[in-house]
Amino acid sequence: MTAVLEVKEVSKVYGAGAGKVVAVDAVTLGLSKGEVLLIMGPSGSGKTTLLSIMGCILRPTSGEVRVAGKMVTTLGEEELPDIRKNHIGFVFQAFNLFPSLTAAENVELVLRLKGYDRKKIKAQALELLDKVGLVKRAGLYPADLSGGEKQRTSFARALAGDPPIILADEPTANLDSRTGREVLTLLRTLAEAAGKAIAIVSHDPKAEELAHRVVFLEDGRLKT
Amino acid sequence: MLWLAFKTLFHEKGRLIITLIGITISTVLALIEVAIYLGMMGNATAVIRHTDADIWIGSKNIQSFDFALPFPEHRINQVRAFSDVQWADKIILTFAFVKLADGRREQVQVIAYNPDTGVGAPWAMLEGRAEDVKGGHYMILDKTSEQRLGRLELGSQWELTFVKEHSFKLVGLSQGIKSFTTIPVMFMSYNQFQPLLADMALANHTAYIVAKLKDPAQAQAVAQALRVALRDNDVFTRDEFVYQTVMYWTVQTGMGMAFFLTAILAVLIGGAIVGQAIFAFTMEHLREYGTLKALGARNSDLYLVIFSQTVISAVIGYALGVAIIFLVRDGIEQAGVDLYVSPILLVVLFFTLLLVCLAAAYVSVRKVRMLDPVTVFKA
Repeated sequence: MTAVLEVKEVSKVYGAGAGKVVAVDAVTLGLSKGEVLLIMGPSGSGKTTLLSIMGCILRPTSGEVRVAGKMVTTLGEEELPDIRKNHIGFVFQAFNLFPSLTAAENVELVLRLKGYDRKKIKAQALELLDKVGLVKRAGLYPADLSGGEKQRTSFARALAGDPPIILADEPTANLDSRTGREVLTLLRTLAEAAGKAIAIVSHDPKAEELAHRVVFLEDGRLKT
Repeated sequence: MLWLAFKTLFHEKGRLIITLIGITISTVLALIEVAIYLGMMGNATAVIRHTDADIWIGSKNIQSFDFALPFPEHRINQVRAFSDVQWADKIILTFAFVKLADGRREQVQVIAYNPDTGVGAPWAMLEGRAEDVKGGHYMILDKTSEQRLGRLELGSQWELTFVKEHSFKLVGLSQGIKSFTTIPVMFMSYNQFQPLLADMALANHTAYIVAKLKDPAQAQAVAQALRVALRDNDVFTRDEFVYQTVMYWTVQTGMGMAFFLTAILAVLIGGAIVGQAIFAFTMEHLREYGTLKALGARNSDLYLVIFSQTVISAVIGYALGVAIIFLVRDGIEQAGVDLYVSPILLVVLFFTLLLVCLAAAYVSVRKVRMLDPVTVFKA
């Protein structure tokens, strides 16, 4: 399968000299359409740093990142937002929903950002919330949603605009066991049904069962 | 992004209300200060602006309209001798006292004019006519003087003290004509007031000679020629005399600086309130801005949110401030304080306030510009 997201010999180094910290050390991996990739590892192993590099949020110190075949490590700061906007959906551990927006409006926000037709945005947001089983809660603010509902809303937001790649950072960390499983199942379904390439950073052992592929990171290096 | 700015701003109503109260108070303060100042300057120059003369001739080294010293009235002949002059007339400006019903005395500003030509006459009459002062000890008082002089009834007799006591009959009421010093203005006939000047050994003296030119465009040139001819007088075009009077009260007395300093402080306080509120808002929502960046928003999108919130706050706060001014305006004016609120003033003050608010919001913009979207992955 062709990888929609590739990282090749990517390293991220903070500081210099004696205080130098290698957060990610020469990691190479690919993420393909329809695949759920699980990145596991102990705390401080560089998982989130790697996810940030894959999401074009953080520049690697060395190595290459390609999104949909396009080399992004050489792009300027002004071009990276467009790569994120058009190719990547994010799911965050703390949901990162806007408290002043309803569930539907949180999804609308991304559609507006992507320049979708404003007349259709509302219907599209509801359609996405329907996909994650939350359409009946569309008018509620995040404060009125449960943890699972918030995470589902953030999935709907990540799917807004149909990005080929979804990156999820500890998506079950703030959820109870049953809701966590539901969320992971939903991610797998999305990957298979919608052909999304999904990378999950997680400590959750349940995630292993649902991922197509699992990689372990230790001290910034991939363990084989 | 305007949509997001609206949503987030109006979601936190408590903060919005506090911000709006700050801007509203700032607007009211600044607007009242400037409007009072302009109202006072309007009063200080009202007679000059409402007299249909292109040239004003006063005593030497005169500083403002209110401080005219008498000079021989025959100099009017030198003015009339100029071929460019269409007509010339005389106006007396002096101060006297009137006796109130309870025996106290109140100072008045006397303007004595030629009722045949109407030059220097009251321009807004509520009752009676400007020419009614002709032919006797008649006078016109302004309706707003009632606050200082008591009830003004046409036909009533008033004792005027100008060296000696003289009785004058009230034959008319003007409307909204006030002096800069808020001393009541009393209009009377030039010829009837002349004998009173004689009591001060100032017979045949006047305070001003005013002239209308055949071609008002020649005012500068004629004023210059008159300066040469009338070396013991100061000669002004109408605009110059307005400017001289305004500058005297504004700069020489320091009054203008006091008003403007308060107005500027009010605007700065308004800006600081908005800046502080928007900054606190930005800091509290830093994660959301980071999320927006991670989702693909450009810095310019985030600036738009911050500046839109600033503009929305400024517009609403300013509108409320202006509404309050218009609501209390009558009450303030009834208390004897004139407010001059013109569309230009409203526009200039709005843009000044907006500019200050946007400058204050720039601190938030800088904070967001430096924000690293990686922070969104921190739990």
